[in-house]
Parts: sequence; C-alpha cells; structure tokens
Amino acid sequence: MKENRMLQYKKTIILVILLLQAVLSVAQQDKIIVAYNFLQQGNLDSAKIIIDKAVVDSESVNDGEAWYLRGFIYKSIYIKSEKGNRQSPCRLEALNSFKRSFLIDTSRENIQKNTQNIKYLSSTLYNDVATSLDSINYKIAIDNFDKFRLFYMLIDTSQTSFRKRDIEFLKALASVYTQIYETDRKGKTEFLNLAKTTYLKVLQIDKNNYTANYNMGILYYNQAVNLINQSDYDIDIVALNDIQDNSIKLFKEALPFMEKANEIEPKRRETLLGMSGIYFSLNEKEKSDLYKQKLQEIGN
Amino acid sequence: MKKLLFILLPFLFLCSWVVLPDQSEETVARTKVFYLYNFTKLIDWPSDSKQGNFVVGILGTNITLINELNKMATKKMVEAQKIEIKNISSSADAAQCQIVYILPENSAQLGEVVNKVKSSSTLIITEKQGLVKQGAGINFVVIENKLQYELNKQNIENHKLKVGSLLETMAVH
Repeated sequence: MKENRMLQYKKTIILVILLLQAVLSVAQQDKIIVAYNFLQQGNLDSAKIIIDKAVVDSESVNDGEAWYLRGFIYKSIYIKSEKGNRQSPCRLEALNSFKRSFLIDTSRENIQKNTQNIKYLSSTLYNDVATSLDSINYKIAIDNFDKFRLFYMLIDTSQTSFRKRDIEFLKALASVYTQIYETDRKGKTEFLNLAKTTYLKVLQIDKNNYTANYNMGILYYNQAVNLINQSDYDIDIVALNDIQDNSIKLFKEALPFMEKANEIEPKRRETLLGMSGIYFSLNEKEKSDLYKQKLQEIGN
Repeated sequence: MKKLLFILLPFLFLCSWVVLPDQSEETVARTKVFYLYNFTKLIDWPSDSKQGNFVVGILGTNITLINELNKMATKKMVEAQKIEIKNISSSADAAQCQIVYILPENSAQLGEVVNKVKSSSTLIITEKQGLVKQGAGINFVVIENKLQYELNKQNIENHKLKVGSLLETMAVH
C-alpha cells in the first residue's frame, strides 16, 4: 500500500516536471516567434529585447536557429540605424550571433545562411577599414581589420587570400604611419618606429615584397639625412662627429633593404636614386656614380 | 530574407604611396659646411684679417656646396665679420681670402695657391689624400665612410693663424 503511494508520488512529480518543461519550451518558442513577428513588422527594438531574453534561456542557449535570428535582428538594426558608424555595436553583436549559430548548428542549410551573413557583415568591416585608413581614424581601421580577419576566417580558411589581404593592409597602415611622421619628423618619431615595425611584418610574410623593402630603405635613409639636415650651423665638432656616426649607421641599415628592392625591380627609377643616394652619403662616390649611370641608361 | 550583396573596397591606392629619397648631395655638402664653420671658430685669424668680410674662396665647381655655403653665410658670422662666399677662378684671387677651399678636381692648383698666399693669413682647405704634406692646412678625408680631416699645424701657423686645441684633437692622426 505504502509502496503504491510512493509510486504514485513519483509519477506525479515526473508528470509535473514534464509539464513544466513543456510549458517552458512553449514559452521559449513563443519568445522566438514573438521576436520573429516583431522583426517581420519592422519593430526592431522590440524584436531585439525579446530575442536577447530568449537566447539566455537554457532552452535556447544552444539553439542555432535562435542565434541566427538574433544575428538577423541585429544586422537589420545595423543596416537601418548604424550603417555609417564604423564602430557599430549592432554589427558586432550580429556577427557574434551568426558565429555562434554557425558553430552550434553544423547542418548545411544553417552553415550556408550564416556564411552568407558573416561574409556580408565582415565585408562591411573591411570596407570600413579602407575608409578609415588615415592619420585620424587609423586605430578604428586596425580594430576593424582585426575583427574582419577573425570573422572572415570562419568562412574562408584559404591562407593565400589572407596573406594577400594582410600585406595590403599592413602596407597601407605603414604608409599612414609614415605620413603622420612626415608631418612632424622631430615630434612624431614613434610613428617612424611604427612604420618600420609594420613594414617588417610585411617582410615576414613576403620577404620579396618590393614596396616594403623600398620603403624600409627610404625610412632609414631619410632618417639619416634628417640627422644632418636638422642640425644647426652651431653644432660643435664633437657633436658633428657623433651625428656622422649615427647617420652612417642608418645609411648602412638602409642599404640591404634598398639592395633587395633593386634586386626585385632593377629598373625602377626611385630605387636607383635610393642606391645612388645611399652610396653618395656613405662617401662611396664610385658606387654612387654606377647607379647614376644606370639611371641614365633607363632614361631617367 | 533578402539576398546579400557586398563589395570589398581595395586600399591599394595607399600602398602605392612612394617617397623619393631626400637629396644626399646637399647632406654631404652640409656636413662640409658644418666643419668649415667650426674651423672659423677654432682657428684664430690675426687682427688685420678681422676687417671687412670674412671671405671664403672656392676654387672649383660644386654648385651644391656653394649653395650650402651661401645659406650658411646668410645666417652666420665669424665674430663681427659677415661671411662672403666667392667662387674664385684662379689662384690669383686666393690672397684676398681668409679661407681658400680647393675642390678635388682643382687639387693640381694647390702649389700655385700656396705660392700666392705665402704672406697672407689664409687657411688652405683641400679634399684629396696627402695634400697636407703639400701645403694644405686642412684636408678632408673619408675614413670608414666618414668625412674627417687631416691637419698640418705647421702649414696653418705659417700663415699667422692659431690652431685651437680641440681642432687638433679631433683631426685624423
């Protein structure tokens, strides 16, 4: 009798649990449906509130469909209200949601639709990199390029396309650093160092990159020239001696980069000028004249 | 849900930004000018040479060097004297100069200049190996890529000029 009663209790408890789960699940499904309906009606603010609640529920935390919907809602908000914002928080939320959905649900259909959205949004990041690569917004460009890389890597794992994009970006960034340095050579030397470090990163990826080699050579070369040109006529003979030592060191640092650039493209005017200039500055007139001769041969 | 369109904007235009090298000839000339101005401070000319302009005569052609010297002359003085840069065409003009700078391609004229300035307070500067042994007071030399100078104290003092100790110390021995 007692055993029967216990069994009855157990059955009741299990029933209650199942019922509760069913209710919760329906409620959860409701939230997703409600969020979807809001999205369809164009009420993006309400859709966002509901979907944010839905995805934190235990039922949906691993639901690829719910995360996809969240991504879509945030993407719609980005398109509607934050398109001009290069640091759009909604774009980032959308990307993170699509990424989550992409990783949770590996069905072909889900991968396909998330890929399409990640591709679109990360492309907007990349395009924002291009428009913010200037002396004021370059930090936004760096941040967006890192994010672009992170998300685009999910859908395009080919090393070749990244290698090319990394080189393009790093060269453009180094150019921006150089331009900032050129505005104030004495006061903005940190940008000279940043430019050098950035070109070296390009050379780590591709040691035969002409632009990176040439510009590294020029950065060292111009730095050496500036040491002399920025000196005052009152410089004493001891300081002049030291400045010459430092500039010779810099000219010698410029040489291997310029030589490499010249090896890659032996008929480029600016490289021949660079080679001639370095040797002239190192007081090696014969070698300097040799490159001047080559310059004449290519017809200036 | 709408089909997505996207375009990747290239930023190649920024990569092609090329800087041409700064002018090396000006830099080398400027280094020589710095030295020369130091010589005027570290050598003492007798009082009869401290009247009128302080004349630097250049024997030979080097437009870049002359331009740099002229730039210096507009900004600096030797004590109370204005600096005058003169392109001299022959050794005959040398005696009126406080400094005569004989450029390498005119080195053969050193003997004539030495004769012409025998009794003048003129410092002779040259730019070819071994010329301090042939009458030059100061001779520019390149040692391990660095522009330096040799000094012949006797040759300088023969022209009633006094050599400062720092100038002597910093010379190549």
